[in-house]
Amino acid sequence: MMLLIYFGITILLLTGMLLFRRRKVITILMLAFLLNQSGLTAIIWLNPGIVQMKYFVFDPLASLFLSLLTVISFTTVIHGLINLRSDSTRRYQYYQMALTGLIASITAATLANHLTVVWIFVEATTLCVSVLIYHEKNRLTLEAVWKYIFVCSVGIAIAYFGILFLGLGLRENAGFDLTFREMALILGDTNPLYLKIAFLFVLVGYSTKIELFPMHTAGVDANSVAQPQVSAFISTAMVNLGFVAFYRVYLVFSQTQIAGWMNHILILTGILSILTAAGYMLKARHAKRMFAYSTLEIMGLMAIALGFGPSAHPAALMILIVHTLIKSGLFYQLSQFFRTWHSYKIKETGNYFALNPHGGLVLMAGSMLILAIPPSGLFLPEWMVFVSLAGAGQWLVLCTVLALLGFIVYGFSTRMLHLLFSRPIEGRLEASENQTNWYEITIQWVLLAVASLLCFYQPPFLLALIHAAIQPF
Amino acid sequence: MEIILLVVFAFSLFYLSMAERFRTYTALIALQGLLLFGLACFRLREMNVANLVFLVTETLLFKAIAVPFLMYRILNRIQVNRVHPDALPGFYALLLTMAGLLLSIFITRRLDGQLIERTFMLIAMLALFTGVILIITHRRIFSHLVGFLVIENAVFLFSLAVGMDAPYLVNIGVLLDIVVSILILGLFMGRIGTRYSDMETDNLADLKH
Repeated sequence: MMLLIYFGITILLLTGMLLFRRRKVITILMLAFLLNQSGLTAIIWLNPGIVQMKYFVFDPLASLFLSLLTVISFTTVIHGLINLRSDSTRRYQYYQMALTGLIASITAATLANHLTVVWIFVEATTLCVSVLIYHEKNRLTLEAVWKYIFVCSVGIAIAYFGILFLGLGLRENAGFDLTFREMALILGDTNPLYLKIAFLFVLVGYSTKIELFPMHTAGVDANSVAQPQVSAFISTAMVNLGFVAFYRVYLVFSQTQIAGWMNHILILTGILSILTAAGYMLKARHAKRMFAYSTLEIMGLMAIALGFGPSAHPAALMILIVHTLIKSGLFYQLSQFFRTWHSYKIKETGNYFALNPHGGLVLMAGSMLILAIPPSGLFLPEWMVFVSLAGAGQWLVLCTVLALLGFIVYGFSTRMLHLLFSRPIEGRLEASENQTNWYEITIQWVLLAVASLLCFYQPPFLLALIHAAIQPF
Repeated sequence: MEIILLVVFAFSLFYLSMAERFRTYTALIALQGLLLFGLACFRLREMNVANLVFLVTETLLFKAIAVPFLMYRILNRIQVNRVHPDALPGFYALLLTMAGLLLSIFITRRLDGQLIERTFMLIAMLALFTGVILIITHRRIFSHLVGFLVIENAVFLFSLAVGMDAPYLVNIGVLLDIVVSILILGLFMGRIGTRYSDMETDNLADLKH
């Protein structure tokens, strides 16, 4: 019933946005939607474990990521209000409608406890994100939206292939159901080859959303042309959604005989993701693409943590939480950077610290945090992953990952130092000074501060929630 | 009868991997739509009538008529009818598809189930490989579009194998088909086709600069 009210209100608000073509009204409706979203999040915290409308469950994994989604939704909407001030009412209307649809779809997919329901809402997110990417309606956004839709559609089709394999493997259990809890009960007797193929297809399919090798390109291209607040949302909330969708399947499969094999595949995927990110970092020419590849690197580390087994799963979840806070702060700051330089190309820009000291400080602090330099909240979980690898005698994996991370730190920091302190190499552009917006700066500092705080203090309720979230069905 | 339709479907995949004209691609996609229509009729005849009518309509009207019609319209608009000269020659593409067939046989032989189900799986996996090969080895966007449609057909074919046990899986496959195909073909018709008239993927590389 509670979820039905949430969806009902969302549909009403979307209809209102469609009918009332006045900027103020659309803004008020968007803020009302955020209240609706916050209300649902509060309800989920107050009613843990209940099943709604048969296909949705308020479990700890959903509570954790829905809370993060709600926080990022607020900050994204506020940055959108600032960045879209000069947009026409029509474009503003499409943007807010697509964002509302996207948040609602992510909410539904996060709460879904049925494999095909998750898949349907993940598909719905592709449609909403496409509208947001195409917002500028130019040649670059057209290219990005085409690639995004194409790669995601292929990914979604491949993921569905995996679901069908699972269906085929389970067909001997009369009246089988693809809810995660049900699958966990009956998958043990299934031919492992069906499970292996299904897992591979689901991993490849959802890698479009997790921004993990091999289908990471869709997210990277989308991030490089979308509005900065949309890039922040794609790199965090969408990535988290991909993770939740994948992790639920992983938890089910982890109770079968393919668990070990599955972990090896995840470690391999993680290494390949970090390798790809390192390759780009050494030749990066575009600030937003560089941040997008940084997401690929961090997701690679998260996959290695997952592949290491249940003892490292809290580290994987912590990496996702902290990454969400830091990466969104960094992308939000890039909107001020763009207002200063009107470009994201590294050679055409630079000297940002002198032009916008407050923004420059955010970029500098955010860069240190995203590289997991203490006091970054990423430091501890990454350290835990390395210690676990060393403890298990996985020296080859550890040395490979550390070497690749060395390249990434070098590539990322030299470019950030150029952006912050050096003059542009190709000095064709005129910079606009004083682009500080205190609302934006405050939000960005709060996000980064929380990410730093998690290095020193992890609240007991958060640790309890993480441990509850990684429990198998 | 199902086996005959499946074998013809497999031949259409081999022909598709060798073909070099876009009109041939379009004709083969229409043929595959008809074959899927036949397979749905035979395979799911015990399903409830409303569901069966829905599926038959989707395969016949959407896959065999609407999609090829839209493809012809795109071809008339862009006035390009051949694959890119640098695309992998047909002979090598055929060899790759044969390798895909061997891999599909290797996998399906290790799976349990009835012969007919395994044949459905085999051809569906071959279609998946053919679609991926088309996307990877060709440079024109239209070939990529055809590759995607072949992957969609693979998903539909595979869903027919599980259809009697879980009809909702087939319906969701149809949903994927309709929504995504319309989105991609619509974007192609409305934007990509007009902006990138020569339809080469080299023109879609601005983001990397």
